[in-house]
Amino acid sequence: MTGLGIVIAILVTLVAVLIPWLPTSASEEMDRIEFVYWFATVICIAVFALVMAVLLYSVMAFRSPPEDESDGPPIHGNTNLEVAWTVVPAILVIAIGVISAFVMSKNGEAGPNPLNVKVFAQQFAWRFVYPDDNEVKSGELVLPVNRSAKFEMESADVIHSFWIPAMGQKQDLVPGIKTRIIVTPTRTGVFSLVCTELCGVGHATMRATVRVVSQEDFVAWVKERSDGGGGGGVSGDKAAALFADAGCGGCHAFTPAGTTGEIGPNLDDLVAAAQKAGQDPADYVREAIVDPGKVIAPGYQDGVMPPSYGETLSPAEIDSLVAYLTGAK
Amino acid sequence: MSAVEHESHGAGHGSGEPTRQRSILMRPGFVRAAWCFALFFLVGLYLVAGIRWLAGWDPVYDWNIIVLVGGLTLAPIGFLLGLGSFDYWLYWISGRPTIPDDHANHGARTWKDYFKVNTDHKVIGVQYLVTTFVFFTLGGLMAMLFRAELAQPGMQFMDTQTYNGLVSMHAALMIFVFIIPAFAGLANFAVPLMLGAPDMAFPRLNALSFWFLPIAGTMFLCSFLAPGGAFATGWTSYAPLASDQPIGQVFFNMGVQWAGASSILTALNFLVTIITMRAPGMTFWRMPLLVWANFTTSLLVVIATPFIAGSQFFVMFDRVMHTSFFVPAEGGYVLGYQHIFWFYSHPAVYIMILPGFGIISEIISVMSRKPIFGYRLMAMSLLGILVLGFSVWAHHMFVAGMTDWLRVPMMISTLLIAVPTGVKVFSWLATLWEGRIKLNTPMLFSLGFISMFVIGGLSGIYLASVPITIHASDTYFIVAHIHYVLFGGSVLTIFAGIYYWFPKMTGRMYNERLGKLHFWLTFISFNLTFFPMHWVGLVGMPRRVADYADRFADLNLVVTISSFALGASVVVFFYNMIVSWTRGPIADPNPWRAMTLEWQVSSPPPIFNFDEIPQVVGGPYEYGVPGARHAILTSTTAPAAQEVHG
Repeated sequence: MTGLGIVIAILVTLVAVLIPWLPTSASEEMDRIEFVYWFATVICIAVFALVMAVLLYSVMAFRSPPEDESDGPPIHGNTNLEVAWTVVPAILVIAIGVISAFVMSKNGEAGPNPLNVKVFAQQFAWRFVYPDDNEVKSGELVLPVNRSAKFEMESADVIHSFWIPAMGQKQDLVPGIKTRIIVTPTRTGVFSLVCTELCGVGHATMRATVRVVSQEDFVAWVKERSDGGGGGGVSGDKAAALFADAGCGGCHAFTPAGTTGEIGPNLDDLVAAAQKAGQDPADYVREAIVDPGKVIAPGYQDGVMPPSYGETLSPAEIDSLVAYLTGAK
Repeated sequence: MSAVEHESHGAGHGSGEPTRQRSILMRPGFVRAAWCFALFFLVGLYLVAGIRWLAGWDPVYDWNIIVLVGGLTLAPIGFLLGLGSFDYWLYWISGRPTIPDDHANHGARTWKDYFKVNTDHKVIGVQYLVTTFVFFTLGGLMAMLFRAELAQPGMQFMDTQTYNGLVSMHAALMIFVFIIPAFAGLANFAVPLMLGAPDMAFPRLNALSFWFLPIAGTMFLCSFLAPGGAFATGWTSYAPLASDQPIGQVFFNMGVQWAGASSILTALNFLVTIITMRAPGMTFWRMPLLVWANFTTSLLVVIATPFIAGSQFFVMFDRVMHTSFFVPAEGGYVLGYQHIFWFYSHPAVYIMILPGFGIISEIISVMSRKPIFGYRLMAMSLLGILVLGFSVWAHHMFVAGMTDWLRVPMMISTLLIAVPTGVKVFSWLATLWEGRIKLNTPMLFSLGFISMFVIGGLSGIYLASVPITIHASDTYFIVAHIHYVLFGGSVLTIFAGIYYWFPKMTGRMYNERLGKLHFWLTFISFNLTFFPMHWVGLVGMPRRVADYADRFADLNLVVTISSFALGASVVVFFYNMIVSWTRGPIADPNPWRAMTLEWQVSSPPPIFNFDEIPQVVGGPYEYGVPGARHAILTSTTAPAAQEVHG
């Protein structure tokens, strides 16, 4: 039976080691989560191998044919064994609990000089604001590498949940309260942020891009975004920034903004679409922003685009977006 | 002992019914149920319209309210009234002659008796099982539909609202009108027999509890017909999303009330039956573990179920009465919903597994021909799970934004539940040790259950750990875990229990080869379906998504194909059940040579279970103990009792 147990343990260990169960870590927090994960896995492999070895061995060794009418030995229990399999698992799970509590506490601490980021979620878009960096707004999340980011999160409508799989940390955004989480990225690259709490018809596609860059690139990006949004009047740059801030590109492809979202209709041919509908392009686009449910492009669903842009954007901002989208300067 | 009261009704039942033949419109039955249903709906309609007209509210015919009051509340009551569920009580209340020992609606002589308000616990048990398996089939077909959609990334067959609706409906059917009541059905059949009682303590209440169930399931399904489609917020139905969904959501809110009321009434019935109707000599420490399991489960149901009822009422009130339980702008507290919901829904996980533990304990002991190892610790561990089960609900909320200090205590109590659960698993293994193992279908399902439930339990350890859960919650890892405990756990035990008691229920034997084929097909396709979900979840795929990133495509295709095989395996089960029920070989009273009381009477049992009162003289699992007896029955209907050690 011991042999059987060892064989099962080796097989399960191979399954545990050969399959890349977790994404390649991209944050300090995920590194710690991986540590707890492997600690628990070692214990679980031992328990599973023990149970399966006893079970399979019993079936092989003690199987009796249907015509055998004899009974087994009348063993009613064994106090020592029963105490052992009460106490040993209790010690093991408490060990997992202590390590988990330690890691949980470490994952709740930010490193030095953390970056503050505000996260706003609504059906079905993400927006990010950098309060200490000229209030820069963005529809994509840009983070400097090796610096803790402290997120303070709010939801405008229903519960959403913030998760970057490679960075491990997850936190719900709850209407009415502010929630917080800390992520410390450890490698540069492009990652995805997904909503993991069912939030309505557009839940599956409520994603955002996360770009982790060097500190210098981050500073440059902040500067570029600050300048772009700082000019007065209705300039093309400002409209482009607004397009990015409002999260439009998360769902819509629009060549001038370089976005490729596929959740909503492509915005490159809005003028042609307006003419087809027999409407003035400016009115057509304005209506689509303020009252997105009124006309639904073929192949798309009502209720996915937030109906609240008419309230969250100022009339001047809507004017500039309309101009930007219809190609008028 | 109430067991004495009914003993002499073998011939007398039915004689008390007035012989006056009423017209088909007035007789209890589906015709009267149909017009009462319509009448009560109209009463609800004009009640709402009348009040709105008097108050001067516009529109007078507000269908959101009419559907709720007329369609989902009054019409089902009309249906039950027409069916005859309340006849006896109404006669009694109105002072018309009633006969307390009227057994006109007791027992089944033809198949038609299964479609009536029947007070026989054995008939009700079968009614439960057949009804729940109808919902199981529908819920399974829905799973295959949305798995087809998930075979490839992008949207192929349906829009996202339909997808969310199918996912939500699948879970609602499987949890509320399959697993929980399927266990109630098995226990309904087995518990009174195991106790040596002639029936449940409240047979008419028992019949009423059953008939709530088709109402609940039909209500869920009817939401597909509602404008805007079926409820689409998951079975957890979190506020505030659930407060502003199309009207299909209300069908869920109310369906849960009917299913919950059914659970609570049945649980009360079990508690009173177990406490007061044990045969002479049946002390608590001589009760079979299935009875212990249902005793514990019933306590959980009675304490916890009112909480989900409350949570669904609050969400519905926010919607129809403009209260603000979960509206933050008006002082509501969104996380309050989750606390109340999980205060039921975590214990519900034990409601869905403890009866299965009981079934497995029976089968493992009988098929190993050995006493259950550590009987008292097995019973105590059930109570341990009961107590700990109420202190772990917030482990569903580790990422929800609740107060931080709750995380560590909830993690520790969750981890500690592994201890009583582990005691059960190790005790089953020790029972197998040196046994004379009969590897028949119920035993295969039991051993399959132990293996799968250990995987589900171990993934539960990961989910108890806060840092791992922060990564894994709301992903497919959760979907994998829940299916390892609810399918690999609960459903396999339901199959085991049905095969085990099939000869007792029907008087016929199922086909052993088909049973084994069913097991292996289920076991293999189950693992191929759900094991890859652990992986796809940990690497980044959220749950409840109609569409997913392209990199998850290969694994999802494997899962979809396997899920179709899993669906096909159930066909073998249905074929075996239907053919064996109609044409299977006649079963012995005690084909397993078991000691518990239900096997000491004929198959199927006499209409009042025991022709004499059994005298319990020992434990229920005394296999291999020379001369040991669980109970003494002298009558000729129970020859098997003497054969056990003959």
